[in-house]
Amino acid sequence: MQLGNLKKTADMRSAYGETLVELGKEIPDLVCVGADTTDSLKTKKFGDKYPDRLLNLGIAEANLVSVAAGLAIAGKLVFASTYAAFLPGRCLDQIRNAICYPNLNVKLVVSHAGLTVGADGASHQQNEDFSVMRAIPNMKVLAPGDAVAVKHLTKLVARSQGPFYMRLARPSSEVIYSDENAEFAIGKGNLISEGNDATIMSCGLMVQRSIEAARVLIDKERISCRVIDMFSIKPIDHDMIYNAAKQTGVIVTAEEHNVIGGLGSAVSESCSERYPVLVRRIGVKDTFGESARDDEIEELLIRYGLTSGEIVKAVVEARRASK
Amino acid sequence: MLRVYAITLGQYLEMSLKMRYLNLKTKIRDIRMLAIVGIAEAGSGHPGASFSAAEIMGSLYFRIMKHDPLHPEWPERDYFVNSKAHSAPGYYATLSIAGYFHPDEMGSLRKLGSRLQGHPVRYSDFQKDQSVPGVEYSGGSEGIGLSVAVGIAIANKMDGKKNHVYVLIGDGESDEGQIWEAAMAASKFKLDNITAILDRNRIQQDGFTEEIMPLDPVKDKWAAFNWHTEEVKGHNVEEIIEALYKTNQLKDRPSIIIANTVKGNGIKHMTNNPQWHGKAPPRKHTPLLLEELENECLIAPSIIAGEPENYEDKIRKAERGGADMIHLDIMDGKFVPNTTMKAETIKKLRRVTSLPFDAHLMIEKPIRHIDRFIDARCDIITVHAETCSENEFVEIAEKLLRHGISPGMAINPSTDLPPWFYSHLDKIDVLIVMSVNPGFSGQQFLPEVLQKMTQIDRKLTENRFKGYIEADGGIDSRTLQQVYDAGAKIVVAGNAVYGSSDIHGAIIQLKLKANIALEKRLLNRSTNLDIRQDWIKARRHVLIPLASELGIEEELNATR
Repeated sequence: MQLGNLKKTADMRSAYGETLVELGKEIPDLVCVGADTTDSLKTKKFGDKYPDRLLNLGIAEANLVSVAAGLAIAGKLVFASTYAAFLPGRCLDQIRNAICYPNLNVKLVVSHAGLTVGADGASHQQNEDFSVMRAIPNMKVLAPGDAVAVKHLTKLVARSQGPFYMRLARPSSEVIYSDENAEFAIGKGNLISEGNDATIMSCGLMVQRSIEAARVLIDKERISCRVIDMFSIKPIDHDMIYNAAKQTGVIVTAEEHNVIGGLGSAVSESCSERYPVLVRRIGVKDTFGESARDDEIEELLIRYGLTSGEIVKAVVEARRASK
Repeated sequence: MLRVYAITLGQYLEMSLKMRYLNLKTKIRDIRMLAIVGIAEAGSGHPGASFSAAEIMGSLYFRIMKHDPLHPEWPERDYFVNSKAHSAPGYYATLSIAGYFHPDEMGSLRKLGSRLQGHPVRYSDFQKDQSVPGVEYSGGSEGIGLSVAVGIAIANKMDGKKNHVYVLIGDGESDEGQIWEAAMAASKFKLDNITAILDRNRIQQDGFTEEIMPLDPVKDKWAAFNWHTEEVKGHNVEEIIEALYKTNQLKDRPSIIIANTVKGNGIKHMTNNPQWHGKAPPRKHTPLLLEELENECLIAPSIIAGEPENYEDKIRKAERGGADMIHLDIMDGKFVPNTTMKAETIKKLRRVTSLPFDAHLMIEKPIRHIDRFIDARCDIITVHAETCSENEFVEIAEKLLRHGISPGMAINPSTDLPPWFYSHLDKIDVLIVMSVNPGFSGQQFLPEVLQKMTQIDRKLTENRFKGYIEADGGIDSRTLQQVYDAGAKIVVAGNAVYGSSDIHGAIIQLKLKANIALEKRLLNRSTNLDIRQDWIKARRHVLIPLASELGIEEELNATR
């Protein structure tokens, strides 16, 4: 895997908005719906280009999701976007009954997921979405790790049938992938770097922290880590998990999500059924978050244990425990 | 592909827009019958909601909507979103009668492995085994369907399509906040291609809506959300259809039709009773329930009776009293000695009421005059067997069918049913058996007609005649029971209504007599089925006010 320049940052939402504009040209049936957050989600860019194809439904998420279902019934490819805090929880019923049950072509792309939304506090810090969305039949769940991944996955999602849930983060993040070489497939993990002593599987903003952790582990601990971007949480790459378990012996997962029900759970489930090894989960430890200013985000993540240092610790301990 | 659809559109215009009044009535009756069979077989389901919405669904599928059971995905079709999805049995029955699947399948309702899930599932390649063609929307969770309908309507507008979206919502369902989110969105986007119909039956699971969560003033609420509002009697297909035609023409605003309905309408002991929101009747009651549905008695006051002229006033009074249709006696002074109204008079009367006009032509050479009565927008037109040959009658009947008018034939007391009648049963909606010699109102009922009627009824039933027998002549509250028992399901009442000083009271009296006649019939049937005591118990509150008339006071006391 050819890595991008980790020092360069880009924001996921702009990548999303720009990709939609691009797709809008190719796919005349593509429609975006928003709930008073189109500026923030950058779907406004799409609306500027295609004014008749962006619908702002106001602060009414249940309606947003169900109108999206109606549009899909009448043949549209629908991207419904607002903040992560307000879709999976508030609209679980509508997502389940109006979209997933009839398996409609609605793509829920949300932003401001996880703790890193920052100053708005716990009400807005969506840490349970993977868990809830993953449990609904027909739904697929994605968590891209950088702006390049967002671009690729938005296109992939547009071309795949059925409902998707894809979550973006609010802050700009370091670019992991180089545009030219990146390849993504639904249900596959991306191998970022090879290693034999342990595997780190992560998604979203934690991918970049996993890469950092792997560097520290090889430099300081002489532990060679396999790093995998598990952007596709459902369906998940069972083969990659099996091989990692068999070849590297321990797995550490890292996600900006509650340790219950998210990537860590998905990996543990797969691993325990196919090739049981020790799996340690880095994530929010079943608690609510709190406010932090933008310049305090790193400190917030330290407080909740979402750092490369925690990953390093987990790998070392897991290896020790499994001996 | 387009050509196929173009032909289908033509067929649809032929079949669906032009569906006759009595044919529609029969189809709606069949919806209820099929729904109750399904619910009774399943042992669970929602009879109340299925019955309150039967006329709404029937009017949509058999009169208003562009749709094609042979091509459920026809792109130009109108959409129906059944947001109050617990009315599933009635919805499935409607789809089945419309031709989307075989009625026998209703027996699988709510069972394991059935395509008829408890709440309907959108039919698609993904869910062929859990759904039937024609279902557009997966319902079950209340409050969502209107939003989905809004989405469909927006998409249709984007595509410049002319099709319409109809969405049925419930009044209990209207407790959901999302209904009002959708209401705002529909007016924001000026969705004149959407019509919501509120099944206002005033009952939800726990009790009466105005006690659980008051919804009134519901019309003002919708008006405040900038919707065009109409209010109709929800079991009156004429009013429903008129409102739907009207709202389809409006521009720039969504419309809602508030249909005041009665939960459980059709089965008297289920009517307006919260207990029957989600309960199945015992299977052994099914034959009796079907019998009740099949034997509704319609009262058609004849406005030439009583004081001459002032027809408008007579129609209004009949409507207020609860008449089912208006009987118009047209006499030409030739076939009968008297002369009454002309087609021009009927045309003027048409604006007074939406009740169906049951025109009875007692005229010579009806084939020469039929166009004027078609033009006057009569709903049923009956001509006398004595006035036309078989060929002429067939020509008249086919013409009426093309215009969506129910064809009828009448026979005088001394006339036998012409043998060729049986060759054209599919073209006839009503047979008037005269119980006086026509020509004047106020004549004495001829009892010898009863035997003739009974024989005809038996023979028509054997020949699977789907239409109605109508009794006309000298019928009052004493003779009503007799003609009803002899097989008449439409009863013309002239002097019995307009000869009375209390027209309203007279109609109520006739309806009461029709009720008693029905209850007697059902009691007799229950005896034959050996469930009389059980039936009396289930129907207790319906029977109590009629106890002495039916002579069942002691039996009622015994079931207490």
